[in-house]
Amino acid sequence: MAGRFFPAALMARRNLTRTKMRSLLASLGIVIGVVAIASLGMFGVALQYSFTQNLGNVGNQLTVYPNSGENITELTERDIRTIRRETSPTATVSPVKTRVEPVSYNREDAIRETIYGVEDPAALYEAKEGRVSPFRSGALVGSDVAEEHELHPGSQITVNGTSVRVRAVLEEGDPFSSTNPDNRIIMPATSFSQRGYSEVYVIESTGTQANETAMGIRGALNDREQRVVVQELGSLVDTIEEQFQIINTVLAGIASISLLVAGISILNVMLMSTVERREEIGVLRAVGYQKRDVLKVMLMEATLLGFLGGIAGVILSLGAGLAINHYAVGNAMAVFRLPNAWYVGAAFTFGVLTSIVSGLYPAWKAASEEPVDALRG
Amino acid sequence: MTVIDAQGLVKRYRTGGQTLYALAGIDFALESGEFVSIMGPSGSGKTTLLNILGLLDTPTEGTVLLEGQDVTGLGDSKRTRLRKQTIGFVFQHFYLLPTLTAVENVEVPLLLDSDPKVKKRARALLERLGLGDRLDHKPDELSGGQKQRVAIARSLINSPKVVLADEPTGNLDSETGRQILDEFRRIADEDDVAIVAVTHDDLVNEYVDRTVHLVDGTIGRERKNGG
Repeated sequence: MAGRFFPAALMARRNLTRTKMRSLLASLGIVIGVVAIASLGMFGVALQYSFTQNLGNVGNQLTVYPNSGENITELTERDIRTIRRETSPTATVSPVKTRVEPVSYNREDAIRETIYGVEDPAALYEAKEGRVSPFRSGALVGSDVAEEHELHPGSQITVNGTSVRVRAVLEEGDPFSSTNPDNRIIMPATSFSQRGYSEVYVIESTGTQANETAMGIRGALNDREQRVVVQELGSLVDTIEEQFQIINTVLAGIASISLLVAGISILNVMLMSTVERREEIGVLRAVGYQKRDVLKVMLMEATLLGFLGGIAGVILSLGAGLAINHYAVGNAMAVFRLPNAWYVGAAFTFGVLTSIVSGLYPAWKAASEEPVDALRG
Repeated sequence: MTVIDAQGLVKRYRTGGQTLYALAGIDFALESGEFVSIMGPSGSGKTTLLNILGLLDTPTEGTVLLEGQDVTGLGDSKRTRLRKQTIGFVFQHFYLLPTLTAVENVEVPLLLDSDPKVKKRARALLERLGLGDRLDHKPDELSGGQKQRVAIARSLINSPKVVLADEPTGNLDSETGRQILDEFRRIADEDDVAIVAVTHDDLVNEYVDRTVHLVDGTIGRERKNGG
């Protein structure tokens, strides 16, 4: 049936089966190229996905630091008021004081640790064990600290010689967030003697709002001198994602070299085939095939090779994608996400295109031979 | 009716400062239903003449009329179309496509037209040539004589006015050669197709209406057969 509607395809298909091994090897090149592009692409997507998953929702966070480059070591109450003015009404603004104190756990030798002073920790943290608020005395510890020193609510630690009671162990935070409490000891801000703040956390409702707030704070505080550094986690995330994009593109670029090689091998196979079939092509021209008809038959062969290789490549890539996503994301089914479809589709398209482009020159060569010369042998 | 009328054909080749004359002024006319052989030693210009008559090649000088139409200066694409419409070719080495069956090989000239009637006609032609039981065989499953029959069927698929045969019996034993020549004779008589056969084989001359002898690109003696 197909032969009736695509006679050129019939001839092309039969010609390919004439030298099965050669055709298979030629399209194997395309298979490898397609698999390389698709699976490297999917690998990149999986990496990016697992990164974003770990990152969680931190795009709406800002951290304001005093600019040590301008010898500013702390933020004043006035700075805090300015920051509050620049944030939206729904934002959480948490000024933090820090000091370094000798801390000892379970009567061991004291280690110097940074103590964080937060006024309203309930706005930032939740308790895994114990209660965060009310918070007027005692300490909150991060989960890593608690695990390392076997601390629970009610345990005692010694800070600068004074015994302090642990009120709560905090839930784990986002690993990339600057508010992450996992390794911290937090005490009430009122227990700090110094007046300045060492950093301010601002949590806005959206990433866009965070970005506007960041610009507002910079405008207000860095007007005459560069008083503060505002770190936007959102832009950090953007930067990292851009890096991933670049890595992905480079990976796909490297993978497409294999398609180039595949193209050359198809070019070679088709050239051999036109030389071997010189007389046959001459006969076709003699019995009334126009140059473009010969071109069509030859290009059809290249296209079939490309399709064959492309389809096999897509099937293998899906297998590879299942494995990649199983190990990188922990969910094999994540392979059926849109960016993956894009990479697989692009790999297939490039595979077929490479094949057709490689077939162009041999096809043109075959078509432009004079039948008289071809039949002379 | 005159199918082909060629006047003053000259074909010159220039190689390394020398000018070679493959044809040096030849007049040749062909009536429909006529079976003509062209004989002559190697290098006498037989194949060149056949190629020019078959619109595969163009003469350096002279004119070719095909059914009264001047086709001398036509470009490749127009000549190709005329070949497809009015001319059939039979070759010494058959030149069947090894990947296609007998029927498909016969269909080849019209294969890209996707005309469903072509398959039927191809079968009918093969049956007429005695290959009704070989329709779906590949060329390597056929004997030399059977291959040449398939090639003849292929040359007739487009209902040509002229069939041009280059050494059609050259690769066959004399018994098979006779059968093939019988087929040509019958096609010329029954279908009113003009046939030109270039040959070394004297056997051919028993079947043709006349023989044209070529010597060094010119026409030597011409012999008319019986009637």
